[in-house]
Amino acid sequence: MNTALASEALIPALRLDQCRKGAHVRVTGLIAQPLFGTQDERVSLRLKELGFLPGAPLKVIGFGLLGSDPLAVQVNGTKFALRRAEAAKICVELVVVSTAL
Amino acid sequence: MSTPIRFALIGNPNCGKTSLFNRLTGARAKVANYPGVTVERRSGMVTGLTKPAELLDLPGTYSLFVTSPDEQVARDVILGKLAGERRPDLLIAVIDACNLRLGLRLVMELKSLNRPMILALNQMDEAKRRGISINTAALSQAIGIPIIETVAVNSQGVAELRTTLDGYAQQSATPAGEQTLTLSDRQESVEALYAEIESIISQHVIQPAHLPRWQDRLDSLVMHPLLGLVVLFSILLVIFQAVFAWASPVVDLIDAAFSGLGSVIGAILPDGILKDFLVDGLIAGVGGVLVFLPQIIILFFFILVLEDTGYLTRAAFLLDRPMRGLGLSGRSFIPLLSSFACAVPGIMATRTIADPRERFITIMVAPLMTCSARLPVYALIIAAFIPEQTVWGFFNLQGLTLFALYFAGVASAALIAWIMRRRTSGREEFPLLLELPTYRWPMAYHLLMGLRERAWIFIRRVGTIILALSIVLWFLATFPGAPADATLPAIDYSFAGQLGHFMQPLFAPLGFNWQMCIALIPAMGAREVAVSALATVYAVGEESIDVALGSALAASWSLPVAYAYLAWFVYAPQCISTIAVVKRETNSAKATTFFTIYLFALAYFAAWATYQIASAIVS
Repeated sequence: MNTALASEALIPALRLDQCRKGAHVRVTGLIAQPLFGTQDERVSLRLKELGFLPGAPLKVIGFGLLGSDPLAVQVNGTKFALRRAEAAKICVELVVVSTAL
Repeated sequence: MSTPIRFALIGNPNCGKTSLFNRLTGARAKVANYPGVTVERRSGMVTGLTKPAELLDLPGTYSLFVTSPDEQVARDVILGKLAGERRPDLLIAVIDACNLRLGLRLVMELKSLNRPMILALNQMDEAKRRGISINTAALSQAIGIPIIETVAVNSQGVAELRTTLDGYAQQSATPAGEQTLTLSDRQESVEALYAEIESIISQHVIQPAHLPRWQDRLDSLVMHPLLGLVVLFSILLVIFQAVFAWASPVVDLIDAAFSGLGSVIGAILPDGILKDFLVDGLIAGVGGVLVFLPQIIILFFFILVLEDTGYLTRAAFLLDRPMRGLGLSGRSFIPLLSSFACAVPGIMATRTIADPRERFITIMVAPLMTCSARLPVYALIIAAFIPEQTVWGFFNLQGLTLFALYFAGVASAALIAWIMRRRTSGREEFPLLLELPTYRWPMAYHLLMGLRERAWIFIRRVGTIILALSIVLWFLATFPGAPADATLPAIDYSFAGQLGHFMQPLFAPLGFNWQMCIALIPAMGAREVAVSALATVYAVGEESIDVALGSALAASWSLPVAYAYLAWFVYAPQCISTIAVVKRETNSAKATTFFTIYLFALAYFAAWATYQIASAIVS
């Protein structure tokens, strides 16, 4: 758990869309995404409902073909596909970095 | 008591709700639309109860705070807010035992409505296999809702559920037009609700930390940016091979059965209008469309298998980025795939697309996917005009032409989607947020029931719309009859013939002759009817239509004309059923008119350009 604290201190605002494949992270919060316009609040709500809540453990399991988009993540044992626009709403902190990095 | 009590199944997508529905109703679903909206409404009577009870299979939803038309219907029905739809008397919340958190979250939300509710804990067998152990009694106590463990694959637990339901069925139903509930503004936060769920789960459920390893291994292959695409295209190749090659023996069988029936009736009945009507109108018309049933069943078989195993969402994941450039998303993939069999179910499948703009574009381009009805027309013209020779070593020129026609459809769809997106750019984005369910072995029972349902929808359509159209078209092609001293084929004198002559000047720039114009009229009912219509106008005998007609066409059409006719069929919305389903799904006369005009204009332009270019090259 020390790693988590350390990385948080080093990279204060890491977002999910900046994570590498295989990264283990923990959700710290959700931020606004202007791309979604008036719907943004609804998107935040849905993300929370699906389990993207502060403290939730999260794993990046894969990327799509072009521009690493969309990305597949696993939260609480359930896998989801998110686009970068959605992933950029999710602030995270690193927990364990896989050897791939 | 006139109205039966009404139960409703509610749960997350992929929780096994529909399998449970099939179990409880003996898979006798009445499929219709909810009043005023285009979301599929599935209902049925629960079997084996002492009192009649209706069961409603609501669309899958994550939350009462909705994001798609499907979810909105689920919410409105529960709240009794959907006009013309009585509020269910009892909710049966279905939870996937392997995905407890998401399911429980919805249940807690539903609980705040204070409606009678029981909980079906589904996929219990799979949960046990994965080492998930749930103290059901304690869980039930903690959330204050009766829980029944079920396994939708077999009847385990379903009997117990039925007994419980029977108890509720003794009570009287809420009279129609009863009170509605209002959803209070979200009082408690999502965080608080989840904290409660976490504490419940930690007390009553033991979960292993990881999914089974093979699940993750399979995902790392299937969702790999490159290998995943190889897997996807291999699967698509097998599907197309199956739809077009495996179906053909059955197609031939149905075809033979209908021509057999036709000749039997032809032999029994005396010559005359009744015989013509039965043989040429009814049997040929209905039979000509029913031959597509095997292809549709095979395609839906694959789609259902891929859906049940959880693969389709992976395909949507892989294709999301390429399709987004066109204003679509991974979610459009399934409707477009279905459209290769028939645009009608394809357009109906767009209901799961949350973004109205994306849904609109998907509907508009779905008919450009080459549906199976175009295949007989393509096959006839290709066989008549394209020499059977090998090019570049191993490609068959005829096969290559067929591929080019399919490709033309897909490429045009991509281009048109892109243009439509340009036109409406600057709007806000919609999220993808797609759950990738865990892989499961598909259930034979569920598959069979799904196929039966799809087949019935198609057969019912054949029995109604297509039957009526066949009668109308036969009438147009038969009356008025030819005069006694007629030298031309009888159809030339009919309404259809007159219409063909009338249309011909309009189609002259495309090189079409009046016979080709006539064939376009019955083809509005179903494209493949163009083949039999051409056979009629060229007065080719009933036997071995394909060969005789092929040589008749080769003798009277030039090559550029044949190419132009093919180009026309790539684009023309030559099918009234498709136009009707677009009207129903968009619920807009404006959109339907736009759809029809743009496709006809495109067909006209493509055929014109093809004719002019090909003529220039040939001369």
